[in-house]
Amino acid sequence: MRSLRTEELILNMGPQHPSTHGVLRLVVTLDGENIVEVQPDIGYLHSSVEKMMEHRNYTQNIALADRGMDYLAALVNEMAVLRAAETLADVPVPERARYIRTIFMELQRLASHLLWLGTYGIDLGAFTAFLWCMRERELIMDLFESVTGGRLHHVYFRLGGVNEDLPPGWTDRCREFCHYFLNRLDEYHKLLTGNPIWKARTQGVGVLTREQAIAFGACGPVARASGLAWDVRKSHPYEAYDRVEFQVPVYTEGDCYARYLVRMDEMRESTRIILQCLDQLPEGEVRAPRVPLNLKVPAGEVYTRVESPRGDLGIHLVSTGGEFPWRVKIRAPSFVNLHALTEMMRGWKVADIIAILGSIDIVLADVDR
Amino acid sequence: MPSLLQRTAEAVQGLVTGLGITFQNLTRPKVTLLYPLEKSNVSPRWHGLLALPVDTETGNDKCIICFQCERICPSRCIHIEATGKGKERVLTRFDIEMDKCQYCGLCVEVCPTEAIVFTPHYEASTYNRANLLYTLEDLHRAAPKEPVARGILR
Repeated sequence: MRSLRTEELILNMGPQHPSTHGVLRLVVTLDGENIVEVQPDIGYLHSSVEKMMEHRNYTQNIALADRGMDYLAALVNEMAVLRAAETLADVPVPERARYIRTIFMELQRLASHLLWLGTYGIDLGAFTAFLWCMRERELIMDLFESVTGGRLHHVYFRLGGVNEDLPPGWTDRCREFCHYFLNRLDEYHKLLTGNPIWKARTQGVGVLTREQAIAFGACGPVARASGLAWDVRKSHPYEAYDRVEFQVPVYTEGDCYARYLVRMDEMRESTRIILQCLDQLPEGEVRAPRVPLNLKVPAGEVYTRVESPRGDLGIHLVSTGGEFPWRVKIRAPSFVNLHALTEMMRGWKVADIIAILGSIDIVLADVDR
Repeated sequence: MPSLLQRTAEAVQGLVTGLGITFQNLTRPKVTLLYPLEKSNVSPRWHGLLALPVDTETGNDKCIICFQCERICPSRCIHIEATGKGKERVLTRFDIEMDKCQYCGLCVEVCPTEAIVFTPHYEASTYNRANLLYTLEDLHRAAPKEPVARGILR
């Protein structure tokens, strides 16, 4: 009896697939329903941010970093660019500004994780989660709007501080939101964490082992779900992170469910950080005096990193002493995590592609830059 | 592998918990807005459309033609020209390409005389891109050129 002849099939997902979280093309090699290999094809959202930064001064680069890189975590990008410039030029930052920056970066992490949770819910067929996450995210956007004037793109951080002080009553609003949000977070847990369908779609799916995570240089929640306790906020503290108490959630399973749990726990920790910062918020200036907007950064090079919601965001800045940077290299967390995707997907079914892709939380503007 | 009975019980429990939370949310106040009919209020610091207010005492522009906003703009969308010397120096052109503007607010920040400000408008879309070139008169009026889109309801 002759066995059935089988051959591999190449399936092209994207760049216009609604579930690929942006313009990502996946070339999937299939054996029946099983995935043999996945080849991500990137570059559809390339905007040459690194090159454009060479033609703008450091203040103008803040506006560029907002939208050119990871647009869901604009304030963290601002921080990344500023931290490099401030380290090289040795710009003093007032204490109050450091705390305000920390509060805003953590609010941005909440907003980003909420958007991830909502869209991940849609990917797995839980539509309710999306609507509720958007509802809470809108409150964060309102908090942003009353301070920075923008909802997604803020241009709020400046060399040596922040643009304007918090308006009166804002801290109370923020504290109120944090307490409200903790209750909503319990609701998400009730809705999703114990749900058998949610568990069946995510538990044990797309496993990335600890060794693989290290080999691929995975960072952020993806690495922490694989048992790698790596968080820039703990290992290289910046701004006010060394003065607040928080835990870094680590899970060892390395599957989609672990990545989901890491982000859920991170949201709780972020709320804790915000509340502590609001309690400790010192009085005083929010912007260092006599830092010009067209600051000339002394010649030299520096590599700095911040913890973006997606992972370890690094900036390598080379300056020749002028008003503009000579070269900026962005180490994007999404780009590195997308690389680890090829290993996560091997051997799983077609139906799991979206579940695994959604769980690494990529932003294509960050991947392509 | 849990038994069929156990799995069924888990599924029913998950369904009941989910629906329970859903019904709790039904009783909460609604958070959505009937957008084209109802407008949301923006905060006083809102980065909206730009405007050039006229000095109410003298009736002249507040702008002292220092070109700082033109220089700081990251997308280079402000174009200023002036004629005359000394006190007779007047603005002949102040164009803002609103399609290029990224609402960063650096021009508002550097202006020494508060001659360029943000307005609380957030509906800047038009049917023609040429309408997004805001000239001096448009910026004085500080209003969008076209009536804003009202949706299909009106």
